[in-house]
Amino acid sequence: MNGRQEASETQPRGSRLWRGLRHPFTRRVLTYLVSIIVLLALWQLTSGVVHAIKGRALLPGPFQAFSELIRSIAEIQHHFWVSAGRLVLAMLIALGLGYPLGLLVGHERRLDQFVSPMIYITYPIPQVAFILFLFLVFGIGNAVKVAIVAVALFFQLLVSARGAAKNISQEYITSVLSAGATRRQVYWHVLLPATLPDILTSLRVSVGLGMAFLYIAETSAALGSGLGRFVKGSMYRPALASAGIVAMAALGLLLYLLIDVLERLACRWKYTQQRPR
Amino acid sequence: MIEVANVSIRYGRGIDAVDAVEDVSFRVENGGSLAFIGPSGCGKTTLLFGIAGLLAPIEGEILVDGTPVTGTRREIALILQNAGLLPWKTVWQNANLSLMLRHEYPQRTAETVLRDLRLLDVRGRFPAELSEGMKRRVGIARALSMSPSVMLMDEPLASLDTLTRERIQDLFLTLWKEHRFSLVLVTHDIEEAAFLGETIAVLSERPAQIKEIVDNPGMGDVDYRTTAAFRETLGRLREVLER
Ligand SMILES: Nc1ncnc2c1ncn2[C@@H]1O[C@H](COP(=O)(O)OP(=O)(O)O)[C@@H](O)[C@H]1O
Ligand SMILES: [Mg+2]
Repeated sequence: MNGRQEASETQPRGSRLWRGLRHPFTRRVLTYLVSIIVLLALWQLTSGVVHAIKGRALLPGPFQAFSELIRSIAEIQHHFWVSAGRLVLAMLIALGLGYPLGLLVGHERRLDQFVSPMIYITYPIPQVAFILFLFLVFGIGNAVKVAIVAVALFFQLLVSARGAAKNISQEYITSVLSAGATRRQVYWHVLLPATLPDILTSLRVSVGLGMAFLYIAETSAALGSGLGRFVKGSMYRPALASAGIVAMAALGLLLYLLIDVLERLACRWKYTQQRPR
Repeated sequence: MIEVANVSIRYGRGIDAVDAVEDVSFRVENGGSLAFIGPSGCGKTTLLFGIAGLLAPIEGEILVDGTPVTGTRREIALILQNAGLLPWKTVWQNANLSLMLRHEYPQRTAETVLRDLRLLDVRGRFPAELSEGMKRRVGIARALSMSPSVMLMDEPLASLDTLTRERIQDLFLTLWKEHRFSLVLVTHDIEEAAFLGETIAVLSERPAQIKEIVDNPGMGDVDYRTTAAFRETLGRLREVLER
């Protein structure tokens, strides 16, 4: 009898915990945590294997990296915000130019006939090839670092906005036209919202691409600040360099999360489809 | 009043040209209704887009209330084949789209229309969260929001189950009698044509031409479906279509 009472007391508690764990948000956080732990374990393992083979601790492990990160937090923080500012500014510039232009080219057939060949010719050129000219135009300060990243991301966003605009069902356009829309209203009420999910996906890809270009930009000059500069400058202090790399990963993760939140706010209609009625 | 005289509509030019509508003439009095019936691909949607001002005819003239149609007009409402709802707008925003695009902000009438169509409770939902029948009603609400004098409907009830389809047909009949707009409906469904058309024009294969006009004087009542006159009209339509 006593045992039974206990059972009926503990069971709901257990299932409440279980339900809590199954909640989508908790699950997302948990998956993130688990994958971070696995990643750190793999890192530690690799570092240990390298040590065993080479007989020296060449590759710093996560503990060294994090203790170095905590020790130099003030310095790394400074570089973190410099890089974050450059990356976000470059993303905004690329988005502000590439998105509307891509929609325009994708929707206006006459313009596309004229602009498409230009895109086909310039898109395959690795944008790194333009860096020299960008340095000539923008000097060696902050501007050039933002410009290098912005140029690379501009093409990426232009091409995906154009593709997304071309894929829009004619039905939506006819629908707003028959309701009396002007040309400008077609952009605002159909082209923009219909392509937003694709553009946000493209923006996620841009985070990785932008980080790579930022590294190139920041390390092309011998001086200056930013995480790229910091990592390269710490070449002879591997633990410190790895702390810088951890900071880069954190920056990437932060931007991904920011884009996720943005998508949930701006594309609310996409997230209601799973639960009809 | 809708007056269409010798209208032909063609897509493209040169050797790629597709003639979709050829030499079609008809007239619909104020408050009248005309249903077009014809096989799919014959040019029904094209004809309707011509009257809506979305496509320009290569020949002939289209007049609504005495003035030539040269573009979309606020007194001409069009209900598209799949209701034409925008997935990123809520029921309320979709229903008031025409008003909003014209910078006339939704007023009490909009709320009344939604209440009449039993959509007020779902005004905050997105189209993906609605049943097919609800979607069609939002399309109808959008058209009614402008108090149009001409209502154009493109197979508005295709792909609905029979029960929902008949319910919305009943609703539409009531709305037509109440609001007295002139109605032009295109469909490939003979029962729909016979239920909603005062006169029914049978179209040929593409390019659409009027084969014959069938009078349907008994229509106008929800119980019409059960009458002998209804079955007679259906028989007549079948006969003309098969010719
Ligand atoms: N934009 C277009 N360009 C060329 N042909 C078209 C276009 N739209 C429709 N058509 C053709 O015109 C014909 C009539 O189309 P439509 O009016 O949509 O037919 P229905 O509505 O009767 O099914 C079809 O054969 C279709 O293939
Ligand atoms: Mg059609």
